[in-house]
Amino acid sequence: MAHFAMATGFLLILIGAWGALTNRNLLRMIIAFTIADSGVNLVIIAVGYMHGRTAPILDSAVAAADAVQRIIDPVPQALVLTAIVIGVGVTALMLAYVYRLYEKRRSLDIGDFTELKG
Amino acid sequence: MIKRLIALALLAAVGSVFATLLFGYTPDAVLNLTARYYAEHTAADLGAANIVTAIVVTYRGLDTLGEVTVLFLAASIVGLVLAQGTQKKPRTPVPVGELLTTGARFLLPMILLLGVYVFVNGHLTPGGGFQGGAIIASGILLLLLADPLKHFSHGLISAIESVAGVIYVSIGLAGVFLAGGFLDNRILPLGTLGDLASAGAIPLIYSLIGLKVGAEFASILASLSETEEL
Amino acid sequence: MSALYIIAVGLGSAFLLGLLNERQRGLAYMITLAALTIMSAISASWLLIFAATGAHPIDILTAGTQPPFAINLRMGLVESALTLLINLTGLLAAIHMGDSLLAKGRRAMAVLVIAIMALCGIVLTRDIFNLFVFFELIVIATGGLVLLSDADDNGRAVSAGFKYLIVSQFISILLLIGIIFAYHATGTLNIDGMAEIVGSGIKPELATAFSLAFFLMFIAVVAELKPFPANGWALDIYESAHPGFSAIFSAATGSAALFAVDKLLLIGGADWLPVATGIGIVTFVGANLLALPQTNDRRLLGYSSIAQTGLVLTILGQQDILGEHTLFIAGGLLFAHAVAKAGLYWLSDFVATRSLTGWAALQERPLLVFAFVTFAAMLAGLPPFPGFYAKWELVHILAAEGRLALLALILFGALVEAGYLFRWFGYLIKREPDQEVSCNTVQIIPVFAAVLAGWALGFVWGELSGHSNLLLVLPLLFALAFLLLEWAPAWFKNTLAIGGMVTFFLQTYAEYDPLRLIFAVIFMIGGAVTLLASYHAHGRRIGFYPAAMLMFAGMILLIRATDTFGFFASWELLTVGSYFLILRGKHSEPHALSYIIFSLGGAFLILTAFALAAAAVPPAPTFAIASLGELVQPVAPWVFLLLAVGFMTKTAAIGVHIWLPGAHAEAETDVSPMVSGILLKAGLYGLFVLLMTMGKQSLYGVELTYVMLWIGAITALLGNLMAIFQEDAKRLLAYSSIGQMGYAMFGLALMNHLGWLLALMFVINHYIYKSMLFLSVGGVAKRTGTREMYKMGGLITLMPLSFIATLIGIIAVSGVPPLSGFGGRWIFYNAILTADSRLPMVLIFLAGPIAFLYLFRLIHTIFLGQLKDEHRRIKEAPFWIILPQMIYVALLMVVAVVPGMVLRHVDAYISRFFPEGALNWEGMSITSQFGYWNPVAIMIIVGVIFMLLFSWLLFVNRKAQKVKQFNIVFSAERPFRPETTHFAWNFFAPYRKAMGFLVQPFVTRFWETVTDLLHTAADITRRLYNGNGQIYAFHFLVFVVAVFAMKMGI
Repeated sequence: MAHFAMATGFLLILIGAWGALTNRNLLRMIIAFTIADSGVNLVIIAVGYMHGRTAPILDSAVAAADAVQRIIDPVPQALVLTAIVIGVGVTALMLAYVYRLYEKRRSLDIGDFTELKG
Repeated sequence: MIKRLIALALLAAVGSVFATLLFGYTPDAVLNLTARYYAEHTAADLGAANIVTAIVVTYRGLDTLGEVTVLFLAASIVGLVLAQGTQKKPRTPVPVGELLTTGARFLLPMILLLGVYVFVNGHLTPGGGFQGGAIIASGILLLLLADPLKHFSHGLISAIESVAGVIYVSIGLAGVFLAGGFLDNRILPLGTLGDLASAGAIPLIYSLIGLKVGAEFASILASLSETEEL
Repeated sequence: MSALYIIAVGLGSAFLLGLLNERQRGLAYMITLAALTIMSAISASWLLIFAATGAHPIDILTAGTQPPFAINLRMGLVESALTLLINLTGLLAAIHMGDSLLAKGRRAMAVLVIAIMALCGIVLTRDIFNLFVFFELIVIATGGLVLLSDADDNGRAVSAGFKYLIVSQFISILLLIGIIFAYHATGTLNIDGMAEIVGSGIKPELATAFSLAFFLMFIAVVAELKPFPANGWALDIYESAHPGFSAIFSAATGSAALFAVDKLLLIGGADWLPVATGIGIVTFVGANLLALPQTNDRRLLGYSSIAQTGLVLTILGQQDILGEHTLFIAGGLLFAHAVAKAGLYWLSDFVATRSLTGWAALQERPLLVFAFVTFAAMLAGLPPFPGFYAKWELVHILAAEGRLALLALILFGALVEAGYLFRWFGYLIKREPDQEVSCNTVQIIPVFAAVLAGWALGFVWGELSGHSNLLLVLPLLFALAFLLLEWAPAWFKNTLAIGGMVTFFLQTYAEYDPLRLIFAVIFMIGGAVTLLASYHAHGRRIGFYPAAMLMFAGMILLIRATDTFGFFASWELLTVGSYFLILRGKHSEPHALSYIIFSLGGAFLILTAFALAAAAVPPAPTFAIASLGELVQPVAPWVFLLLAVGFMTKTAAIGVHIWLPGAHAEAETDVSPMVSGILLKAGLYGLFVLLMTMGKQSLYGVELTYVMLWIGAITALLGNLMAIFQEDAKRLLAYSSIGQMGYAMFGLALMNHLGWLLALMFVINHYIYKSMLFLSVGGVAKRTGTREMYKMGGLITLMPLSFIATLIGIIAVSGVPPLSGFGGRWIFYNAILTADSRLPMVLIFLAGPIAFLYLFRLIHTIFLGQLKDEHRRIKEAPFWIILPQMIYVALLMVVAVVPGMVLRHVDAYISRFFPEGALNWEGMSITSQFGYWNPVAIMIIVGVIFMLLFSWLLFVNRKAQKVKQFNIVFSAERPFRPETTHFAWNFFAPYRKAMGFLVQPFVTRFWETVTDLLHTAADITRRLYNGNGQIYAFHFLVFVVAVFAMKMGI
């Protein structure tokens, strides 16, 4: 289970990276990055998974006393929340960039923005 | 073509690192040092039923403050960038169907209520400020779809956002004076595990986060909707 | 105040800014400045506490829970210093960008404050995931600020920012994957916790996963340093963003990222140090090379920033051997870089055009020039700035540990860096300004804050160095005081300078042994006499006195130095001072540049030699120069070789002489005698000290003094040969100096009593007659407006005093009786009779008559012959230029008549080293084992012969008819090149036919090829950076894969 999720996550990262490296369209690149981000998040979650255990919430099903034996690792879940939100922030910023770039040049091709070099 | 080949080769190299990680991975049988501490101590120390929330809001509260700041930054920058591009020209929106208008009117209060529920109960059930805030923002999105000309008060949005942020930082600082350190939730009584009014300042902080996140997303959405099409 | 308040204040004020009305911009700006001030104050207070008490770092808990279960921050000496740097950079940048921020409004200010807060967060946090969060904050804030700084531009900054975001995405993916697997392997996210677990041995089944995870984290954080060559994405930001922000990006972001790397190295342990070293040194050398062909100032600064960061990374990678010194070295280089780079970026805002030559606009503003000099000197690691002390320490430790390849690479990179910095400074001083400086008073504040910080850091590092603090050394302070006196008229400063040097000499002369006393007299009294000529200058003569006094201070400190540190520091000081002095000449820009590059190259050799020497002898806090003599094989000959080559760059031995002719000839009238007559002696002093302490050394069976003997002989011959073909009078004198230094070197290398006496004779004589000749020729050039000899003629009646000085001078130089030059020759002939090196001796003999050939032209072409029409009304040279010449004439006479006055003491001193062959100074004559020399008798005999011949000449010419100059008829033709018809043009054409092959500029071509190769290599590499953001992502991945392959290969 964990391996399957993790493999999917890695695959998504590679797919996203491939998309970002081969698409010249800015919007496609951003979408590729969001795919890769999802892959990262999936990997993070998969690392915390432990077979046969339940969510780290103490309620009638899981008593505080035997939580150590019953719950999965809560830390990756906390981390993934942060990672997701940061991903959203970066994506929003990149979209703002694309808006501004398109406004200046009327182009979405990454090859059209190479005036600074060397 | 060459570019694609190089990309393939590079990704194959990166992929081989990933593969090594994947095949070398064995899930833990028991909780590791950190996780074990959280499982054992969260209930007693912080009084929060949702351990993930306790980690997010308190143990790793500094991360969360950073996260909120990331959204704040993104909203500020998007707002600035799009505001600079805006020219006040009358827009002729696509006519909105009856179904959407009525549906929005009907659903909006429920969406907002759900959002509030999710972040207020963040310390008890799955969910929390970010999730609740995102739900609230989805209500705003619905509203914008139903009435594209709807004008939001940016002043109000940014006031909510900022007041929530300032109070968040102040509560964090209160922890330094009243409890064990920055963002310590024990400035308020911990209550009984599982109650709504429990876990000290966690529900308060998560509600503030919910409001702030909701306001930030709303601000981004509103900026986008008010921007002239290119 | 807890360090936590830095973060709380930053965030709180950013959120508070959101509350304000869009129109309350003034208030928002005030809040911004207040927040940054408070943040700086908190850091400063901690820095004071840690510096004063040496207290241990303090851990700051959050959430009331112990680490590793909650995030903790740490404040210690390093953290407080770095956060102070970051916060102050932020504050000053906010002041600098005031207008821009006010125009953009509160949200832009909030982004700035958050960026600074996040940088502090990177420094303070001890949690790896928290580190990631702060890095992402930086990415977004950077992206935002770049986006905002482009409003009035053409979108260049926007595309730069987008490239940055693309690569940042890749970086954060790798970082996150690394963090989560590192967490899985160690069960903690706390950096110290992880380090502890790794230190105590990680479970074997997790070891592979952990090392991969660590690699991913490490490479991601290292990528934040913009390592070469995966850094195209960051360079565009340096170039296109608002300079106020580029300063933060360079100074603050780089420093924070370096500290993050240091934290990771704590986890990775010793295995990863070589990786850091490798990436660092490749970056340092590569980025410096690529900076070489840059023409855009901000991009050049970007490359330089990356290079400096690479150097500090190298040092972090060497912490296994640097140990407790790491902090001192890395800190010195990092702070010098940060302060200077921020200052230069802010300064760049005053320059309207983005080309390096556009900086010429600053030359009207001495204060801004001073700021530039301060920053450039800090970057180049010159004394008295922190980089100098750090460099000294670093080179010594590397040498002690035998890491010589790394040492060589570092010095090479530093030389390249000095090359482009000083080339830039040359543009600034010498190019025609095409634009006005545009700056308001407020924007000057950050620049001068950086200048002050630079000098303050220099003081602090001097105190910490364990050597003498250069900023407390009297001669240097005296030189620096002239910076404060720049408002005063030149005559006042000149009087002060002369007074200072004479007073210092009178105070200290008793402290020197006879050899040093000779140099002391030349440096101080000789300097004072030469400075008399400077009275002719009017106005304030800004820049002259600090430079000149810096040079003199360096020379004075050089002879007073007892340990290698003092010696090297003063060597650098005199080099820098003389560089500024030489650069003042009208067309001296390229020559001054080659001078400083050769000199610094030589200085680096000297530094390496000292370091090798210190490494070979049991450790002591300082290494006395006298201990050089204790060195044994196999180190000793190498030390000797490096030192000898280092000193020979200063005396312009053949091969490294190409800087001299231009530098000496193009210098100002009163500067030429200083740099020729006086400065060259510093190199000879070095050689004296070297041979005195180390004596004869042989390497692979070759006796090095014998090689030196050959070099001296060839230098003497070729220097003289090149001199005879010059048309330019000052160049002629300059080449002649090369030849004369060759003689002196030859004498030294003879390694016997008379050889040394000869060398000293040359030290004294060359000072006197070369100063005198440069002054008289300079005076003539001043009056005639040209230095080409064939354009002059017949000046004997118009400038009789200059003529007398020149005549006396050339008699003295050419070594014919009766003047002191002959004394030199006489000792010389005696010396070579006692030595057994016949072949180089022949060369030296040949060089003698050649000297006469060119010297004779000075009289013949300038003062005799026909007066040019345009020179009919010229007057004698100014009084102040004539006065020192007359003093020199008198001196020459005295030395000629009673050479023993000085030399007998030296002779006795030399006997300590070479008891054999001392001269006998009885009575009026001097006796050697081959014969005797009676100067007074010779003087009388020559005088009598002269009088006889002169009266005979008068007698036979009494009936001669005088013809007016233009009493002739011209033929009708006007030649295409008028000078070809002048008899004095290409005067020695027959000799050129015969011996011209010897004076082909082989050496010049060689060095030109070297620089061309460097430029070509850089230009080819530049094409990697094709501007496409996607390609930069490829670069990054290639870099990751390459480092991975190499690390796993290791």
